[in-house]
Amino acid sequence: MRRARGRRGAAAFVAVPAAVALLGGCGIQETDVIEAGGPASFQAFLDRDYDMLLFFRSPDGGLSTVIRTTGSPSADTAGPVPTEKVVSALLAGPREEDRAAGLTTALPTLGRGDTVKVEPAANGRVTTHLPIALKPLDDTALRQLTCTIAYSQDADGQIVVELRGQDGTSRSGTCQLAPGGTSLPETGD
Amino acid sequence: MSTGTGGSTGGTGARRSRRARAFGLRTRLLLAFLLVAAVSAGTTAALTYREARNAVLQTAQDTAVTSFRDQVQQTAFALPVQGGDDLDALLRDIARRGKPHPWVVFAEYGSVRASSGENAESTVITPELRRAARADPHGSFERVVKDGVPYLTIAMPMVFKTGPYSLVPSGLVLYAVMRMTDEQVNVDALLMAARDGALPGLAVALIPGLIAARSVLRPVRELREAARSMGSGRLDTRIPVRGSDELADLAHTFNESAAQLDHSVRELRDAEARARRFASDVSHELRTPLAGMLAVTEVLDEDADHLDADTARAVRLVSAETGKLAVLVEDLMEISRFDARAAELNADEVDVAETIRKTLDNRHWTDTRIRTELPDGIRARLDPRRFDLVIANLVGNALRHGGAPVTVRLRTEASSEGRAVLVTEVTDSGPGIRPEALPHIFDRFYKADAARTRSAGSGLGLAITLENVKLHGGTIRAGNLPGSGAVFTVEIPLHAEEAGG
Repeated sequence: MRRARGRRGAAAFVAVPAAVALLGGCGIQETDVIEAGGPASFQAFLDRDYDMLLFFRSPDGGLSTVIRTTGSPSADTAGPVPTEKVVSALLAGPREEDRAAGLTTALPTLGRGDTVKVEPAANGRVTTHLPIALKPLDDTALRQLTCTIAYSQDADGQIVVELRGQDGTSRSGTCQLAPGGTSLPETGD
Repeated sequence: MSTGTGGSTGGTGARRSRRARAFGLRTRLLLAFLLVAAVSAGTTAALTYREARNAVLQTAQDTAVTSFRDQVQQTAFALPVQGGDDLDALLRDIARRGKPHPWVVFAEYGSVRASSGENAESTVITPELRRAARADPHGSFERVVKDGVPYLTIAMPMVFKTGPYSLVPSGLVLYAVMRMTDEQVNVDALLMAARDGALPGLAVALIPGLIAARSVLRPVRELREAARSMGSGRLDTRIPVRGSDELADLAHTFNESAAQLDHSVRELRDAEARARRFASDVSHELRTPLAGMLAVTEVLDEDADHLDADTARAVRLVSAETGKLAVLVEDLMEISRFDARAAELNADEVDVAETIRKTLDNRHWTDTRIRTELPDGIRARLDPRRFDLVIANLVGNALRHGGAPVTVRLRTEASSEGRAVLVTEVTDSGPGIRPEALPHIFDRFYKADAARTRSAGSGLGLAITLENVKLHGGTIRAGNLPGSGAVFTVEIPLHAEEAGG
């Protein structure tokens, strides 16, 4: 008798928290961050004949994209803005409107006289000679350079970029910004 | 003594049954039904509620995320994003078209912070959501409850097309914050519905519980009533057998046992009645020859002086023993009448002191051996003959076995039940009654003094006294005084409503 009553008591002790747990999740609960589809693409009105795509540094350490127009189509060739010009613009640093948005650069600023030399792309690979030393550059700076050059050379940015510095250092890599984009191997097609 | 024990057992029994009632069969059955109903209704309601709530929230979230993406995809932004009124107006435009409810849109690019609301930066968006939006270009959302208000926060990293196949993250992230008040109302309504559905279920579950409890309890109650009825002597009690379940079996067994018990008890009673009738018949049959013998022995007694000494002693012995035998037969017949419940109480309103004085006078107990404390004016309903026998027997016993002086006291007092009782005490100055003899002093043929086996009495005197007092509805006690001497106390109700049996 007493044991039966004890068992019944134990059952009640199990049932009550169970009911409380069932009813406890009432109302709307918080959730974790849940992934929901891809990003949203918006109209940027990018015209590769007029516009340059430059990558600067955000305050949070990431890269922010800037579209800078050259005002007129490139005079000499009917095609995209030449990469030398784009890299020079990048090395010239953020303009006032860029700085107003909090953008900075991790690259040293370059004087007017120094020139950038870009070898024609071949085999999905482009080599750029830069009038700066590569060794002291940090990761953000290298990504700025690589991505700017990659998107200047290829609309999809799918190209291996080799950087040659004034100090003889060379670096190569791909710009890995695209969502879901795969980086090309060193010896791409 | 016996009534006291009976009362105390009855008390504990009642207490036990009352405690059992608090957690009785009915309560337990009802609780079991309620528990089962509560568990099933509660589980069903809770699961249904959870599924419905999740569906409501899922729909709202999916709608919000999809429509947010659609809205921002139709918008153009210049890079770098310039904060200011234009951006705010743009965000307000997006916010207005929010689905399912208007939302507040926030834009973050570099150090630019803008929103469609009053504050440029949201207090609801968590660092985790920001980190997820920056680290990985995927749309994501998070439900946040702040100050009891649930919010849906959506982060949408913005990308743009550079070529036919590639999208470039712009560093711009748009956030939408939507209050989920409507959803909360819906979810609360669901909860209400779940509760309102479950509670009547519980109430309905009480009905079969009550029916089941009744079907079990009614036979149990009948059984209890029957057992009580049998306990109070009605051995012919039987219970109706209904159905063919275990309780019906129990009722059947009870009836069989009751029948057997009834049979055994009737046999015993018959045997006892036969024995009593035999004793009564024997004493009756003995009376007639004894009367003749008494007459003869009286004559012989008178002529004993003329006989020789040995014969005279024998004749006197025969005469004395015949007298004792006559007394014994009279007492036996009296006891037989009590046993046969044939003794009748011829009650009369009398002055008690007067009655006792008459008793003592008739027995010639008027000398110094007897002291009386008999206040006048106490009137009670008594059978004068039987009360006379009681007093005469007690005083006679006191004179015979105790020592003079013998005191007879009379008084009235309130009994423990609050009724007025007449108390008559007879005390002697003898050695008192041995303690081991006290419990048996009223037994038939019990001799308090084992050595005095052939006393003057029949051995039935105190038994007859007890029966006479009981017939008055009173009690009699025997005890010893603190010093020495025995005391017999007779208590008789002054106004006996029912002085019989």
